[in-house]
Amino acid sequence: MDTLEKLGILSGSARYDASCASSGSRRSGGEGVLGNASSGGICHSWSDDGRCISLLKVLLSNDCRYDCAYCVNRSSNPVQRASFTVEELVELTIRFYRRNYIEGLFLSSAVMRDPDYTMMRMAAVVRKLREEERFAGYIHLKVIPGCSRELIDQAGLYADRLSVNIELPSGDSLKTLAPQKKKETILEPMAYLGEAINANRIERRKTRKSPRFSPAGQSTQMIIGASPESDYRILRLSQGLYQKMNLKRVYYSAYVPVNQDTRLPVLANPPLQREHRLYQADWLLRNYGFTPDEILSEEHPFLDQKLDPKAAWALRHPEFFPVDVNRADYGSLLRVPGIGVTSARRILAARRYAVFTPEGLKKIGVVMKRARYFITCSGRPVEKLFDRPTLIRQKLLVAETASSPNSLKQRQMSFF
Amino acid sequence: MNLYRYDGTIEGLFSAIDHILRHEPDPQSVELEVQEQMLFDEGQFIATGTERAEVLMRRFSAAYPENARQVMYCIFSERIDMATSLLHYIHQVSVHGSAVEGNLNDPDLHAVHFLARKVSREVHRFKGLLRFAMLEDGSYLAQFEPDFNIIQPLSVFFRGRLRAQEWFIYDVKRSLVSHWDGKSLDYGTLESFRSPELASEEHEVRTLWKAFFSHIAIPERKNPQLQRSFMPMKYWKYLVEKE
Repeated sequence: MDTLEKLGILSGSARYDASCASSGSRRSGGEGVLGNASSGGICHSWSDDGRCISLLKVLLSNDCRYDCAYCVNRSSNPVQRASFTVEELVELTIRFYRRNYIEGLFLSSAVMRDPDYTMMRMAAVVRKLREEERFAGYIHLKVIPGCSRELIDQAGLYADRLSVNIELPSGDSLKTLAPQKKKETILEPMAYLGEAINANRIERRKTRKSPRFSPAGQSTQMIIGASPESDYRILRLSQGLYQKMNLKRVYYSAYVPVNQDTRLPVLANPPLQREHRLYQADWLLRNYGFTPDEILSEEHPFLDQKLDPKAAWALRHPEFFPVDVNRADYGSLLRVPGIGVTSARRILAARRYAVFTPEGLKKIGVVMKRARYFITCSGRPVEKLFDRPTLIRQKLLVAETASSPNSLKQRQMSFF
Repeated sequence: MNLYRYDGTIEGLFSAIDHILRHEPDPQSVELEVQEQMLFDEGQFIATGTERAEVLMRRFSAAYPENARQVMYCIFSERIDMATSLLHYIHQVSVHGSAVEGNLNDPDLHAVHFLARKVSREVHRFKGLLRFAMLEDGSYLAQFEPDFNIIQPLSVFFRGRLRAQEWFIYDVKRSLVSHWDGKSLDYGTLESFRSPELASEEHEVRTLWKAFFSHIAIPERKNPQLQRSFMPMKYWKYLVEKE
């Protein structure tokens, strides 16, 4: 089989991995070094599904000995199997990188013989890239649960980011859909990574000479809609991962029915809207100071599909509003629908010089069609509807569909 | 309102700003425009003095590097109607310090801030979208048609990234070219351009890239509208995966 055919198979099998981030790491080039990594991350293209292409995302092999119900590469599927050689994949990465097609490599793999063997092969690719080719581009490497700690330690020295896929939101679902995988064997390396990354940060603060270990941190992903967990449960899990395991990102991947299996739900389409709302809620956890219990509860365990979770929270908490943009602190500004991190910072910087009017807010990027119901400018309201959440909700929904009939679809995947 | 004019060059712009800052009691009430070749041009013309312009640029960059970067981005935009805003911006930063840029309720500061942002966005976009092709002699060539004149910041970026190979970046619209030979970065203009011969492996690598591009998309999630909103069609002309 030639490289072209392998590339088709092994990128086709890797496409269900959501992450393509290339941010969070800075590597400087130098004499005889190929490439560098810029901490903001760079997208190089966007595929036909609208997702960003930053890294050459491939599997080393799709020849899997596991038989997970949701996975296209499960051992019982009659798909064509292929594996890259180390040399092949290194050459491919370098050729693409020199033409500026990619920011680096995202390498994952099916579990070939056993976890150690697979991880060893993957580490061989990144070692060759870093040591022989002196490649300083971005590398995201999947950790195969069950591999030895020595291999993880080694991988962390070459990769910018390591990740372990949590796959499904609960141990029970794993038992049903991925009987050969166990919650413990997945969480164990995640916890280990979390500690190792943290320890390395502290070490590097003491001496810059100590080698970096997975400097862009770790991430994970789970499949949404293949198992029965509620959004509330998922968000609580994510919050736990962020707080206890030092994760940079949790990715949600709407389940795409690739197999027929009685253990799986029958879906007409992947639940993209649900995925979108989960990403919005995840953003609220990481950047807006929300907790899962503010967003959802046991009584209301699913996100509102029609309204974004921040607006939904605001409508449930009329007592918090109005917020005066000329006086409120950063945390309160962030709670206003239509004011994001950028707008809140701009407001703080600008109001030192002059007070804001509604027109001024619009000019600096506040989304007034949402914010107008929740703010005052030095005591003056824009709309006087603070005590009528039901009416505001109607108006928000109308504004959403009127401005652009495709706005939901548009934003759907702008989070990668 | 006092009106001043300059010759339309960058040096001319900085010469005029330097003159106004030194001689005008209230630079915020002054306007600055490009000289028009008419018999009765209103306003006072400030001749270009390269030395003074350089001193101003150097001092401003040293004292306010972040703000100087914003000014440079506005200049890359080639928008000649920005002269007055740039004058007021430089004046306000010099008097009140760097943070005054945050006063986005001021129309001039707003204009500079958001134009610089727009230009830096295009720079960022092309860091990803620029495509290099390997030529017969082993060097690489990238062609592009940016809205703004951004070949300089982009070349500096690729000097860091692709320093291990010889390359050219060619702004087709402006006939500008930059060249990195492994040691130094040079800029020039091209009188005429003949498409050079590509290396023999180029065809193979492009085929591989196109194969990757088509397989990495999930068919069930196809969303061409979203793709175009991130990667407008004006960029497709030089993209291997869209040719």
